[in-house]
Amino acid sequence: MRDKLNELEKYVKETYMDITKILNLMIEILDKNIRGLKIENYIGDYPTFMEPVILGDKVKIGDDVLIGPKVYIGSNSEIEDYVEISNSIIFDNVKIGINSKINNCIIMKDSKLNFANSSFNDSILKGKAESVEDLEIIPL
Amino acid sequence: MSEKKDQDIQRIKELESINLATDEIRDVVVQTKMQVEKDNELLAQRNNKDLKQFNVKSIDIVGAIGAGKTAIIEKIVELLADKYRILVICGDITTRVDADRIQAYNAETIQINTGRECALNAYHIHQIITNRDLNNYDLLFIENVGNLICPSDFTLGTDKRITVVSTTEGEWVIEKHPMLFKMSDIAVINKIDLADRLGTNIQKMIDDAKEINPQIEVITTSAKTGKNIEELIKLLGL
Repeated sequence: MRDKLNELEKYVKETYMDITKILNLMIEILDKNIRGLKIENYIGDYPTFMEPVILGDKVKIGDDVLIGPKVYIGSNSEIEDYVEISNSIIFDNVKIGINSKINNCIIMKDSKLNFANSSFNDSILKGKAESVEDLEIIPL
Repeated sequence: MSEKKDQDIQRIKELESINLATDEIRDVVVQTKMQVEKDNELLAQRNNKDLKQFNVKSIDIVGAIGAGKTAIIEKIVELLADKYRILVICGDITTRVDADRIQAYNAETIQINTGRECALNAYHIHQIITNRDLNNYDLLFIENVGNLICPSDFTLGTDKRITVVSTTEGEWVIEKHPMLFKMSDIAVINKIDLADRLGTNIQKMIDDAKEINPQIEVITTSAKTGKNIEELIKLLGL
């Protein structure tokens, strides 16, 4: 799975993204590579996990969070209270603000969604943002 | 609404008691609770429609921890795995113990760890079935989180609901938990192999279930010995 994630990360970093290629690889990872529950090393309270869910090391998870099905979250990411994530790939060191709903998205490494009450579907999200307007949103 | 107020409402919702709400937020808490119940019911109806569209029969199994829900599903799956393509969703606070046990009998399993929630709800099931190709299954079992209280607040949209109790829980267990039996199609009294040794009055348990819900089917089983499991399968119409 690591190879596939690296490949996906390479694709989303390209200046001119090939969305079809990204989408196909994302579906392949979510449908075939992410299996079962690998949630041993998260930091936080008692979120709800609907498998398949794979978490990297030291993912920080807030209160009343719902993660899954089909979710990968990379190491050192932070998921704040009341967040819901499904069908998505979140790379390392990402922050998702309180009460955000993320479905069918890729969030690029080091992105910070430093704002509350947002909802994103079918998109690539990128950037260090203090509001939705600051965030780079590429439709999938 | 302020973040503080929002968090207060959330906390009281979790405690499931509007009596704890201050006058200032009581109306909002009541409205939220009513809306959540209504939304769950609508979503449950949609789940049932979605499952029926793909000809997937669905059964929700509730009961206390240790009543024998997993053991009964293991036995049923063992007998039906050649006939049906079976998916089992297991709800637990944490761990994958039950899903691993059932998976050994050739059913596909999905574990939901609910964390602090004491029941599965229609949204959990909705999220699972919208992310699976239902063409691959004929039969869905949902093993709810183990207790006899919270699951009565949330229907899931299955064709049938079974409540499992066991002789080890004492003969008052049905009388003390009427809500679940009111909304169940079948009451299973499990571990009858232990009834004599424990001196449990099974007839009282049967009578209580029938008094609470005259339409309910009651069956006594032993998942350990396999007694009446085939009869339970017949009751389920499988």
